[in-house]
Amino acid sequence: MEGLVVPVLGGSPAAGETLSKNALKKELKNKQKEEERRRKKEEKAKQAASMADSRSKKSAAADDEDMDPTQYFENRLKHPAYLRAAGEEPYPHKFSVTMSVPEYVEQYKNIGNGEHLEDVTVNLAGRIMSKRSSSSKLFFYGLHGVAAKVQVMADASKSDLNEEEFSRFHSTVKRGDIAGVKGFPGKSKRGELSIFPRSFIVLSHCLRMMPRQKPKAGSVSDNANLKKEEAWVPGCTRNPETYVLKDQETRYRQRYLDLMLNKEVRQIFKTRAQIIQYIRSFLDNRDFLEVETPMMNMIAGGASARPFVTYHNDLNMNLFMRIAPELHLKQLVVGELDRVYEIGKQFRNEGIDLTHNPEFTTCEFYMAFADYNDLMELTETMLCGMVKELTGGYKIKYHANGLDEDPIEIDFTPPFRRIDMIEELEKMANLNIPKDFSSDEANKYLKDVCTKYEIKCAPPETTARLLDKLVGHFLEETCTNPAFIINHPELMSPLAKWHRTKKGLTERFELFINKHELCNAYTELNDPVVQRQRFAEQLKDRQSGDDEAMALDETFCTALEYGLPPTGGWGLGIDRLTMLLTDSQNIKEVILFPAMKPQDEPSAKGTHFQFGPSPKADEDLEVAKLGISREIISALSLRLRCLSHKCLQINTLAAEREMMYEHVDKCYDKLLKDLQEMRIKCCLSSMEGEVHGEVVPENDL
Amino acid sequence: MEALRVWSLTTSQPLKHLFRLATATTTATSSVRFVLRCSSTAATTTTTGGRNRRSSSSSSSTSDKDAVRAIRLKKVEELRSKGLDPYAYKWDRTHTANQLQDIYRHLGNGEESNSESDHVSIAGRIVARRAFGKLAFFTLRDDSGTIQLYCEKERLVNDQFDQLKTLVDIGDILGASGSIKRTEKGELSVYVNSFAILTKSLLPLPDKFHGLTDVDKRYRQRYVDMIANPEVADIFRNRAKIVSEIRKTVESLGFLEVETPVLQGAAGGAEARPFVTHHNSLGRDLYLRIATELHLKRMLVGGFEKVYEIGRIFRNEGISTRHNPEFTTIEMYEAYSDYQSMMNMAEEIVSRCAVAVHGKLTIDYQGVEICLERPWRRETMHNLVKEATGIDFSELGNDLKTAKEVTLKALGIDLENKDKSSIEASPSVGHLLNEVFEIVVEPKLLQPTFVLDYPIEISPLAKPHRRHAGLTERFELFICGRELANAFSELTDPMDQRGRLEEQVRQHDEKRAAAAMDTNSVEGKSNKDEDGLYEVTLDDDFLTALEYGMPPASGMGLGIDRLVMLLTNSASIRDVIAFPVLKIQQ
Repeated sequence: MEGLVVPVLGGSPAAGETLSKNALKKELKNKQKEEERRRKKEEKAKQAASMADSRSKKSAAADDEDMDPTQYFENRLKHPAYLRAAGEEPYPHKFSVTMSVPEYVEQYKNIGNGEHLEDVTVNLAGRIMSKRSSSSKLFFYGLHGVAAKVQVMADASKSDLNEEEFSRFHSTVKRGDIAGVKGFPGKSKRGELSIFPRSFIVLSHCLRMMPRQKPKAGSVSDNANLKKEEAWVPGCTRNPETYVLKDQETRYRQRYLDLMLNKEVRQIFKTRAQIIQYIRSFLDNRDFLEVETPMMNMIAGGASARPFVTYHNDLNMNLFMRIAPELHLKQLVVGELDRVYEIGKQFRNEGIDLTHNPEFTTCEFYMAFADYNDLMELTETMLCGMVKELTGGYKIKYHANGLDEDPIEIDFTPPFRRIDMIEELEKMANLNIPKDFSSDEANKYLKDVCTKYEIKCAPPETTARLLDKLVGHFLEETCTNPAFIINHPELMSPLAKWHRTKKGLTERFELFINKHELCNAYTELNDPVVQRQRFAEQLKDRQSGDDEAMALDETFCTALEYGLPPTGGWGLGIDRLTMLLTDSQNIKEVILFPAMKPQDEPSAKGTHFQFGPSPKADEDLEVAKLGISREIISALSLRLRCLSHKCLQINTLAAEREMMYEHVDKCYDKLLKDLQEMRIKCCLSSMEGEVHGEVVPENDL
Repeated sequence: MEALRVWSLTTSQPLKHLFRLATATTTATSSVRFVLRCSSTAATTTTTGGRNRRSSSSSSSTSDKDAVRAIRLKKVEELRSKGLDPYAYKWDRTHTANQLQDIYRHLGNGEESNSESDHVSIAGRIVARRAFGKLAFFTLRDDSGTIQLYCEKERLVNDQFDQLKTLVDIGDILGASGSIKRTEKGELSVYVNSFAILTKSLLPLPDKFHGLTDVDKRYRQRYVDMIANPEVADIFRNRAKIVSEIRKTVESLGFLEVETPVLQGAAGGAEARPFVTHHNSLGRDLYLRIATELHLKRMLVGGFEKVYEIGRIFRNEGISTRHNPEFTTIEMYEAYSDYQSMMNMAEEIVSRCAVAVHGKLTIDYQGVEICLERPWRRETMHNLVKEATGIDFSELGNDLKTAKEVTLKALGIDLENKDKSSIEASPSVGHLLNEVFEIVVEPKLLQPTFVLDYPIEISPLAKPHRRHAGLTERFELFICGRELANAFSELTDPMDQRGRLEEQVRQHDEKRAAAAMDTNSVEGKSNKDEDGLYEVTLDDDFLTALEYGMPPASGMGLGIDRLVMLLTNSASIRDVIAFPVLKIQQ
């Protein structure tokens, strides 16, 4: 793994940029680098002799940056041990910080140019992200902490150390180190707020080479960096292509580097926290109670998706990771918690793409005595309130068509458009769908429509799936600004209540923004008899091969028989909402540690492709070598996916079957035992001349 | 599954055979009837079995239940035939029961408030009813409390009064509107003008007098528990209050809430058997997290100085009154602080929560009075052990053999066999000290106590103590003999960390190998020794992150379920988790 990390992080100054270069070039470069390294080693040996000379020291510092990262790391690894040998603790336990960096900036930003407040003492700590020296007696550092930056002007004359100690110490401080500075505030003559250290200690050492901005950008001085770049705020556009650290793999796998080097990233996760905070206080203010329901269950219900399976050793049973908290939350409403919500993770065993991560965060709430009309209003209030609070207005900018195109504007001004699903679909596509949606006739009709419009629907072609495809094609495409698609057919919504006036439909809505579903809500189905019927219909779809159809949850149905009050239920995808407000096109941008494909093992030497920074380029190369066309590859991978999909279905079915077997087996055993018992009892009681009434029918077995 | 079980009961063929038949031949159309028919009989069969075994212990037998269900299903039909909806869509209520009790607390006995503004509308579940000739009383309960419905035949239109008497059962959810009246007996009531059945319940509520005493059933059907025992809902209200108070506390101190992954390539940050699952499209096994620690520390490396996460942790271990396979913790990390400041944080959080729930700092837990007044006792593990046993571990040095002899001699007589063998199995003096602490001291730490400075052997993620070699800057908080929080000055030295984690893996692998040997030699005993058999992987990415430099920091993990247990006086963790994991029902 190490092997992969290092080259990506930028062996040469341009490494961050070499993404698109192919592996052969890389190889060549490696050789060059090696030579360079050797040369430098020799150089260094020479330089060691004349260490006192400040000129050579400067070039040594520059050398560090040009060094091969592995070499750099190996050198740096020795440093803490060296300190320890000298009797110094390389990782001090505590440095008392009196002020955070942003507090410091806030407090002293108004002092005059060239002014020094020598009687004030401040302790600051942070990470050193830049280092310059103008002589062995004067070093400049950029100290970063909590998204702010201050210059450290280490001047030998202001330090507690003598000159020699001073220059020796500062030559060991590296970019990336975490430092604690005790000193006084002041501004340089050029007006840059600084801290002048009396003492300076390294709290934690950065042993690896910090990726660096491209030289041309790097030539811009620290001073310019300080100049307020336009700070990013939610709702504005963002361009990750301009980041210091661009390589997506590195950004997502080593999020800490992403956070250190790309200032906006921190804001994204702050925005995410604010979104969740807003929702939480919005619901708390309306007397909702936050609850926690299990993430592992015997049955994965409440949605249609493939679950993760795990196994509990001690209890000897399979457990499914939840795909939705819905059924449990409704049980709590049955239990007289009238308004409940849960913000938490859901898990779906599905592919990873731009909008899907196997674990994602949702908010679901349930509100007794409310219906889907109330919820639509509530949704409008919540979302436009949130957008207003976070962005200051109702309109946000979003790169819906890629970073190359101009961003679109999404307008959250309420009320949102409402689209009656079937009505609008028939109008737009000029259809007349048979009104009994569950009939074969309707199914056939929809199949024909899909063929006519060349809309592909992967088998099984159930009516629900066909409708979903059509809606996706005709209606969702029109939903750039927030819009509710309402009144879905029953067979698409097994947990929603039938519409009070429109036969065959349900009281349900989905909120679409930028063509993506964000919310899903309905008046909850609370008639237990009808609920069981709906589950049975799902079973039918399941049997026709739709393994994402919902499973029956007996506990839930029993709960309904105790009476669920009329209730409106609502769910929102928090990751997707965060994507919208942070101009992220990839869900990985808004998840701190997104699921990633396993990294290639850094296998035996010789296969240089594997170490290349760009997997795509390697792939191309390999493909070209073998002389296989791209089409064949993609056809094959499609086939592979189909096959693994089938495999999965078989596995899941097998697992279920096995569980059923076990269950039936147990029941059977128990029955046998009971029967035995009864027989004995029967014998006993008949001996006493008494026969229990109940026993007789059982005995017929 | 239910369906299958029942179906097979009604026939005489071998079960397994039938099962195959069922899955293979059930056609799409018949499946609907199949499930319906079966589920209605399901209840009967299960309990006839049950009754034979437990004769007459259950008060409301299931055949009664079924009879009720059938009757109520008829009522559902009847309502429909009258054009009424047994499952209404919506009810606009103006007040909750408690609000009314509060607004009209000064209303005198026998008085009625009948002005325009006193026309109220409420909704909730009927929990009691008494009906006389032209008068009926219902007790309605909602989220907030209860209120009486006063129903007079004259007040209601058409045959509504008769409907009330014949169609409304205990357990139904009703919406009612009318004016406000306090009866002569002093009971505040809604003087009903009109009402609607909002949800017809099909099953009878559990017997009022017996409540729901079947413990297992209480957890399996939490909603019935909550209907029968309203105080259960209070536990969950308090739980929400506690979580929100914790959040408020840390957020007011500038901590940022983050979410780290549950599914991980390597489960680290604690020593526990993880759950394993498989991601199909990635084609790899994933572990469910056993701690959030390693990812939150990466955030510190990334430049966040104060982060926290409140979230679910999963451990593949047995269940007990203290353990549920999934549980909730808060983990928090603060740069440039050490474990001393985390102790203050723990005090702050726990005492604020206590005040939020109880309004005071003295609380009762299972008959023990706990005083949460600060400051709490802070004592080193060495001193506590010395105090309780007279053994001074700081004088024993590193001689494991002598240490064991001394320990066994000092504790010899009172030791149970299990404890004795765990002492003998201790691989180091540090482990031994911890064993002695757990056996002798832990149960006695009733009042809040910070136990400080754990041995390095059992603290792979904590920083070495700045003054005492062999110890770490770590504390655990104990209240009522239970560990509530665990914190340390974080280890920031990547080399030291790598060494310790590798040592951990090595020890684990040794145990595993030993266990495997055992199972080979003693066939059949394999299940017992399974504990050591799971795989421990090194989180290399985390070590890389440390190599980029993590600021000195302290971190703490606090078990929220245990805190809720303490503050709601609950004996079992199952009382504070809405849907605890239970064994498969027999």
